[in-house]
Amino acid sequence: MIRIEINGEETLVPPGATVLDAVRQTGREVPTLCFDVRQAPFGACRVCLVGIEGARGPQASCTTPAQDGMKVDTHEPVARRVAAAVVELVLSELPGPPAEHTELAEVARMLDVGEPRWPGERHPDKHDEAHPYLAFHHELCISCGRCVRACDEVQGTFALAATGRSFGANVAAGLDEGFRDSACVACGACADTCPTDAITEISLLHLVDQEPVR
Amino acid sequence: MTDRFDSTVTTTCGYCGVGCRLEAHARDGRIASISPALDGPANEGHTCLKGRFAHQFSRHRSRLTAPLIRESGGFRIATWEEAIHRVVSELGRIRDTHGGDAIAGLASSRATNEDCYAMQRLMRAALGTHNIDNCSRVCHSPTSFALRKSFGLSGATGSFADIDAAGAAILIGANATEGHPVAGARIKQAAIRGMQLVTVDPRRIELADYAVLHLSPRPGTNAALMLGLAHVVARDGLVDHDFLDRRTEGYAEVEDLLADYPPEEVARITGVPERDLERAAHIYAEAGEACILWGLGVTEHLYGSEVVRLICNLALMTGHVGRTGSALLPLRGQNNVQGSSDMGALPDTYTAYRSVEDDEVSRMFEERWGVSMKRERGMKIPEMFDAAVAGDLKAMYIFGEDVAQTDPNTSHVEAALESLEFLVCQDIFENETTKYADVILPASSFLEKLGTFTNAERRIQLVEPAIEPPGAARTDFDIITTLSRELGHDMGFDSPADAMREIAELTPDFAGVTFERIGRRGLQWPVAPDGTDSPILYDEHFDLPGGKAQLAALPYKPPGSAADEDFPLILVTGRRLQHYNAGTMTRRTANAELLSSDWLEIHPKDAAALGLSSGDRVEVRSAVGAIEIEARLTERIEPGHVFTAFHFPEIRTNLLVGQSSDVNTSCPEYKVVAVCVTPVGREAPVREMAEAVT
Repeated sequence: MIRIEINGEETLVPPGATVLDAVRQTGREVPTLCFDVRQAPFGACRVCLVGIEGARGPQASCTTPAQDGMKVDTHEPVARRVAAAVVELVLSELPGPPAEHTELAEVARMLDVGEPRWPGERHPDKHDEAHPYLAFHHELCISCGRCVRACDEVQGTFALAATGRSFGANVAAGLDEGFRDSACVACGACADTCPTDAITEISLLHLVDQEPVR
Repeated sequence: MTDRFDSTVTTTCGYCGVGCRLEAHARDGRIASISPALDGPANEGHTCLKGRFAHQFSRHRSRLTAPLIRESGGFRIATWEEAIHRVVSELGRIRDTHGGDAIAGLASSRATNEDCYAMQRLMRAALGTHNIDNCSRVCHSPTSFALRKSFGLSGATGSFADIDAAGAAILIGANATEGHPVAGARIKQAAIRGMQLVTVDPRRIELADYAVLHLSPRPGTNAALMLGLAHVVARDGLVDHDFLDRRTEGYAEVEDLLADYPPEEVARITGVPERDLERAAHIYAEAGEACILWGLGVTEHLYGSEVVRLICNLALMTGHVGRTGSALLPLRGQNNVQGSSDMGALPDTYTAYRSVEDDEVSRMFEERWGVSMKRERGMKIPEMFDAAVAGDLKAMYIFGEDVAQTDPNTSHVEAALESLEFLVCQDIFENETTKYADVILPASSFLEKLGTFTNAERRIQLVEPAIEPPGAARTDFDIITTLSRELGHDMGFDSPADAMREIAELTPDFAGVTFERIGRRGLQWPVAPDGTDSPILYDEHFDLPGGKAQLAALPYKPPGSAADEDFPLILVTGRRLQHYNAGTMTRRTANAELLSSDWLEIHPKDAAALGLSSGDRVEVRSAVGAIEIEARLTERIEPGHVFTAFHFPEIRTNLLVGQSSDVNTSCPEYKVVAVCVTPVGREAPVREMAEAVT
């Protein structure tokens, strides 16, 4: 077992565990955005940053292997500041504040990020609601890659792909023909993992409306 | 979750036997959404389009919301009092006039353990007959039979998690990514990570694309294939003799028999090339840990139960049983087809497969229930229909099963239902079977009831109500216990938990089962009195006399149906991803938008001979019936074979399936039906069955 210290509290984790595993084992929380326990750690979003004694700058806890004698500080000021800035930048590209129930909104609350201070270009609306169950609102996509990895690593259908670069980065179903005409098997793993409701259930879009009687 | 939902309940999926744990979110008394439970042992945070999305059926306008009584050619809405009075007086009259054996009941593999336990108790104690069966008869009864003979217990030897730990796996007669999508995804992920997967199926199923090897034996030749694999294992020195010596009996006879099945002979019978057969045997036998998974492509045959025994032989010869990563995993069909049989909803056994002929066991139940019972088994489902047609069976109580759509030889089933003096159906929708009912009782779906399901891993998991049954519909448990009380046998159960307490008291394999202990993780039976469960069976000994497994020296025998001049093609039936069996639930959801009809898969070579193109209508005719369906060309099926599903009542595929069934268990031979395909309108074929179709 590996002995690791989290905010001064010592804990034991098995070999192969990450710093994030160790933090969560002590009952503490570090906000994450591109992380899903069902998927291999990705380390793309830089929201799970923590301070590690002796390390050069903040480290992504989800991809850093726990090592014997490591001392981790989840409140390390630089790590928190960088993570908050990342989330603020993510929010600044969205057409509006994230829906209350989403993971992105929860992460913003945890990092105390409110209305973004950065004006500038926002993603235009692009909706795919042709599928009976799955809706894709591309303007809400933050390119965290969770849906693509859910389709690959959890389901194994490979119907989703990352597309575009920079501000144009997004996700496409098939060759961007939409869920209905892609290889999608409607397992819903993408909607389940999406932290922003970019992919969600059609029925949840209009939850308050009465659904038509079939 | 936030206030989008009024409530969230963790429950167990009511579709297939994988047993996904689900979070059911309700709003305004309806299911608003379903998501997978992250801690579900069988699904680990995943589920498929049936479990996750196909819940609209629960609020469909055609749900049965009041009891219906047949009157002057139609049905009228009745009160519960009237309906129960009618059922009790009719069943009571027939019991008192003709004896309890003039009545038969079907428990439902879609319902809970507690529902099924109550149902078999009603048939046995309130009506005095062992004429109780469930639809495992038509799917995995051969698996149950064979596992008991070879190993001792009627269930998978391990868990789905064993797939993750296996170096190799053979998947036979199961299209897992469509029939059991979450298990299919798990198999696929394991194969992508490097598990050596061998798929065996007459069709090139999706998982064949992820396999290192795909074998396409002719339908009905699985036994020869298994014997051939065993032959190669023996010939090439891959037998684990230490395991055989210590833990098994019967290898000598098997070894003699195997001499008759060299690869060239097996290739002749099955059509599988010698080289592929040899490679498959080496992949399985040389892996440190290896699993075998199978589905109805193994069982629904004339000798289905014998093939399962041959599968067990192969596992025993290589010592691939009783360890993490070395499991035999039958992919059970319905959510609770394991449990309904465990609960004794079978004509020959009480709970945990203990024989009704066993005096000691019988006396225990007699004492508890305050009745005396016969020591001879009751009727299996096909026998019930025969007896009804013969006039010996007067009444049936069918609970949650649409026999007129899903059982073979549909016209015979319909004749049987028509012959009955009295038929009571208990269901959530009207269906093909309820058309023949005298009384229809409105029941509850899995989203509306409390109890337990047992999945394909023998895992007993909690089912909790997320919404109320619609209108005047009641829970099945309430209906069955009420009827039993009115028939003069009060079970004394206030809730399903009471039933589970009785099951635990009367069943050593369930001794430690309580709802509290089941909790979020479930319990895999056998469960010791202290609550210790059994993820892996047979790690030390088999559950047979002397603790030894029994190998079976069973030769290959040809299937009951063979292609000939009149019926030159072999029809195989199966399931599609979007729908579930009779489609009663999934056809009432948007899954029907994703897939709206059955179709016939045919190889381009056969299609060319008939002048067919994709989209053409064809008539498919067998010796017992005919249907009309759209043909689609695909190279995923071998020449000489055709395939379709049975999800749509307007197609009625099972009109084609005859009476042929497994020699030991009467499981129908759905998987081998000789048929003739003709383009519609090209000629005027003999169509005496046409009326039954249209």
